[in-house]
Amino acid sequence: MDSGTGEGSTSFTDDYETFISTTDVDLLKRAWRNEKAAPEILQYEAALVHRIKEQIELAEQNVEASEADGEDPLTMSLYQMDLDRTQFLLRSYLRVRLQKIEKYIFHILKTDESLNRLSDEEQTFAASCGDDLRAHLKETVLSKLPTDYNSELKQSAASEEDDMVPAPRLDSFVICKARQYISGLDFEPEYSHEITEMERDLLTFVCYKFIKKPLENGKIDLV
Amino acid sequence: MYARKAYELVKELAQCEKGHLQQFNEDLFNQVIDQCTQHFLELQALFRKKQEENVAMETRNEDHYGALVHHLALLRNKRCLMAYVYNRTETIRSLSWKVGFELFELPEEIQEKLSLPEKNYFGKHSAALQTYMADVGIDLNVDMVPPKDPYIKVRVLDDMGEGILLSNKTANLARHSMHFLKRTDAEQYIARGLMEELIG
Repeated sequence: MDSGTGEGSTSFTDDYETFISTTDVDLLKRAWRNEKAAPEILQYEAALVHRIKEQIELAEQNVEASEADGEDPLTMSLYQMDLDRTQFLLRSYLRVRLQKIEKYIFHILKTDESLNRLSDEEQTFAASCGDDLRAHLKETVLSKLPTDYNSELKQSAASEEDDMVPAPRLDSFVICKARQYISGLDFEPEYSHEITEMERDLLTFVCYKFIKKPLENGKIDLV
Repeated sequence: MYARKAYELVKELAQCEKGHLQQFNEDLFNQVIDQCTQHFLELQALFRKKQEENVAMETRNEDHYGALVHHLALLRNKRCLMAYVYNRTETIRSLSWKVGFELFELPEEIQEKLSLPEKNYFGKHSAALQTYMADVGIDLNVDMVPPKDPYIKVRVLDDMGEGILLSNKTANLARHSMHFLKRTDAEQYIARGLMEELIG
């Protein structure tokens, strides 16, 4: 999903009003909510984060400039509060992502799909995070175990798959709301029996993997 | 019963309140490791016996199942050991978010509970986090709760010395004194238990 244009292509035609009144902060709030509620890591909103960072910088300059001009303290405090809230959103968004990377580090490092969703900085972080954890596990446990049993990914050399990697549970349930009417075509064909359609703005309690695709296409928000 | 010791190890972990750490149980841990070595020796002995008796490896005789039991016991032990260490690292990682990046910032009580490799791991992981924050140019360790008001009232709980810089102003933060500070300035001290927020 391309972050910058996703908003325009979906709601431009049917709801021009919401389109022009949607600010980057709203978009960030949405990305943050989705990220918080989704069990797995989602696509990094590179363009959005970049814009927000610029806006924060601009707002900081404005606050400083009006402070120097002797602007009314109450107005100043309101500006500051608004700025603080945006900063909190951004920090929390990045934080939630890092914590997910920490939690599912081995899974993310071995699946390209997840790895490609990270920003460059996050990939660097993931690489060193994985190395550190592997080194620590090796030092405390694995180096003391017999050969054939000393992998951090497999239980023993006899396991065919990596069966010791904590992975996000895609079959956990989430609460979501469709941004528009979603027909059967928007879902993965393999789940066509479980889920057929979703009304707009209707709160739904559903298994995450069923709505993974429309979520990635920006048609659903998690709550 | 095989793998009972490992079970005790995990039980110790489970009984501990979430986010808290107990002393790394070196003694029990090493006992489980020894058991693993023992299982492996017996496993190999059984395989050798089969070879000497010229029985094909696939034959399902009593030695095969004996070896299987040792193999499974070993796996169980390994999983328990890994769970013990892995879950502790999760708590350790949360420390660098909640308390601070440097080992000396952690209260004594917590430092005592960590084993030497765990201390090293904490240091390395914190360094990775700091590198990330430097790359992005955003400090992620402030603003842990959504801000209601940019300013909060705090009470200083410990002698922090003079001359601490808060938003380019020095402040005299004597013990028990109360201050009205920017939330972002105060948060790091609250996390380290040097200040408390006054609510209401």
